[in-house]
Amino acid sequence: MITLSDISYRYPGTTDGWALEGINLTIQDGEFVLICGGSGSGKSTLGYLFNGLIPHFFGGDFQGRAEVDGVDTRQTSVARLLPKVGLVLQNTDAHLFCSSVENELAFGLESLGFPAAEIEGKLRWIAEMLGIENFLDRPPQILSGGERRLVAIASVLCLNPSLLLLDEPFAHLDWEGMDRVKKVLIDLHRSGKTIVVIEQRIAGLIHHASRSIVMEQGKILCDGTIEQSLDVIRERRLLPSYPGKVQKVSKSGEPVIAIRNLSHDRDGRQILKDISLEVKRGEAVAIVGRNGSGKTTLIRHLNGLRRPGKGTVSVMGSALQRKSPLEMASLVGISFQNPNDQFFKNHVREELTAGLKALGKGGETLGEICDLFRLQDLLDRSPYRLSEGQKRRVALASIVAMDPRILVIDEPTVGQDGRFLEAIAGVITSLREKGYTVLLVTHDLEFAFATSDRWVVLHEGRKVGDGKPAALIKDRELIRMGALGTEAGWCLTGEEESGALP
Amino acid sequence: MLSLDPRTKLFLGASAVVLVLFTESAMLHGIEAGLLFFSLWGTGMMRPWVRGLRLMGPMVILVFVITLVSFDLETALLLSLRLLNLLTVSFIFFRTMTPEEVGDGLRKLGIPYQFSFILTTSMRYVPLITRRIRLIMEAQTARGIDLRPRLRNAANFMALLTPLLVQSFLLAEELAMAMESRGFGLKGRSFRKAYRITAREYGLMLLSLAFLVAFLWWQRG
Repeated sequence: MITLSDISYRYPGTTDGWALEGINLTIQDGEFVLICGGSGSGKSTLGYLFNGLIPHFFGGDFQGRAEVDGVDTRQTSVARLLPKVGLVLQNTDAHLFCSSVENELAFGLESLGFPAAEIEGKLRWIAEMLGIENFLDRPPQILSGGERRLVAIASVLCLNPSLLLLDEPFAHLDWEGMDRVKKVLIDLHRSGKTIVVIEQRIAGLIHHASRSIVMEQGKILCDGTIEQSLDVIRERRLLPSYPGKVQKVSKSGEPVIAIRNLSHDRDGRQILKDISLEVKRGEAVAIVGRNGSGKTTLIRHLNGLRRPGKGTVSVMGSALQRKSPLEMASLVGISFQNPNDQFFKNHVREELTAGLKALGKGGETLGEICDLFRLQDLLDRSPYRLSEGQKRRVALASIVAMDPRILVIDEPTVGQDGRFLEAIAGVITSLREKGYTVLLVTHDLEFAFATSDRWVVLHEGRKVGDGKPAALIKDRELIRMGALGTEAGWCLTGEEESGALP
Repeated sequence: MLSLDPRTKLFLGASAVVLVLFTESAMLHGIEAGLLFFSLWGTGMMRPWVRGLRLMGPMVILVFVITLVSFDLETALLLSLRLLNLLTVSFIFFRTMTPEEVGDGLRKLGIPYQFSFILTTSMRYVPLITRRIRLIMEAQTARGIDLRPRLRNAANFMALLTPLLVQSFLLAEELAMAMESRGFGLKGRSFRKAYRITAREYGLMLLSLAFLVAFLWWQRG
């Protein structure tokens, strides 16, 4: 049981505003709690109270009292709480630091000084329970996102904590990975564990959690059953409701991208196999598929970051064979997944024009772009200090600022809250009205459905589907082979589903 | 080969390094290179080694050219072959040992767990950082910032360094958080793997030591 009474907290080095304010909360054994809220709402910070990372690891200004099974977390240490609260961090690259899966599972047990024979038994038992016994000897970084998440869960489960706390377990996962993790969480809850999930992708868990807590600006906005908080969740737009689609953009018929029989190998493995594809001016095409299906490799061919092993890629009628990515930058703008990969200036304003300067262009349309992305108030701030949603907006705006004919957006939904998803869907609509051709790469089928009028489905490096989303999502064959998820698996937020909620 | 105790592997690796460092003639280096080549081929490590040459090759050639210009062919051959052999020995060493084995070996030799952990974990993060560098370069290139290694691009390198540093700090903080949450600093840690050096391994070490001493003595005399 966890009891938080009158907790206020702020991180060291901050004096304005509290990260958490006036938190009162009790979590009973056996509950399944969903903690949601927009990015920067304080939901992760709330989680760090549970295992004593606050105040022991972070320091800062801590008021009030946090108790785990009657023990004041201030009087104990993070390590002493290990057998009670298991925390699975959001970033599996940080959470998993050993060289093989079995070492990951053994690490916690070794920390607590279990004898070797007992460790062996426990780790095999947990591995079988989570279905990861087949890759015990592999290094975690070569596993898929879903598998890595399961290994991270197993690594804390080995210590048999009564409460399992997960920070954004679905981040970066495709529908298949999400499904596996979800099933494990439901099973663990059935077996008597207390489960606390901090998430923004809440659609998948709404049916299963017994309680939900909505956070906003460091305060608990709403705490109750799912039915009670659903209105708040909708009203605060934690679940996105997408705007209607644009009127059909008149397609002039001329293809701006033409890919013929493209194959690509890397380290002896075939990543793309014989892909042919044409995109016409003004289209919005979503390239959908599971993680590892070859989506990101495909888009890297559009500006020359990758070269075809076989086949050809042409953009605006001319073959790319010899053009360098730098020459292509003003033609094809690719906004990659992680905005932190591109920020290097002190102010958003300079960040927006960095690409323009490199190309020797002026910034005539900059004002217009700031309006479109609603960046006017952010221009003089440091890009690193923005929220995740704002960062992604700045990164995307800096690509649009170069005025490319074709805009490619890589996984726009990763790590973003509902409000951002709505905003970005709106931006895509406006860009199309301005005549841009937009390519989206995503495993978020709901987002793809709302923002594009054509899907290209990739599966294991092959193109297995191309056409209207409405037809593709009903294609049993695609679902059977795992190229697409079932509609029920991803579309939980539409109006028609509200009646089906528990 | 892989079933050896990590301490044995560390010992054998160290002897090989000493052997290469103290080999004083180009011809002997040629023989060593041949032996190394043979063991690469025999253990199926040839392909990854050839791929590794893309990094090692230019260094070796650079050393060869510089010494050829400043000294003579004999010295150039000696130094470049010695470098190549050293690189190949370390290549084989790191291919046959997982970072954890290196750590366990060092720990068994009396180095505190915290230090061996830091060493092995930093090895584990090398590929991750390499991937990050590639992603940053791609993201910047895609918006027209030239990061190819040319002199005129020197000013652009902030576009690579800044994101890399910032993200490395973020990762370090998250890693520290993970270590704390998983009980890294606790006293009384147990170790799952028990290691024992077999009589055969002692024999192997003795043999390699004897060979090393004999070789050095023969070379001097």
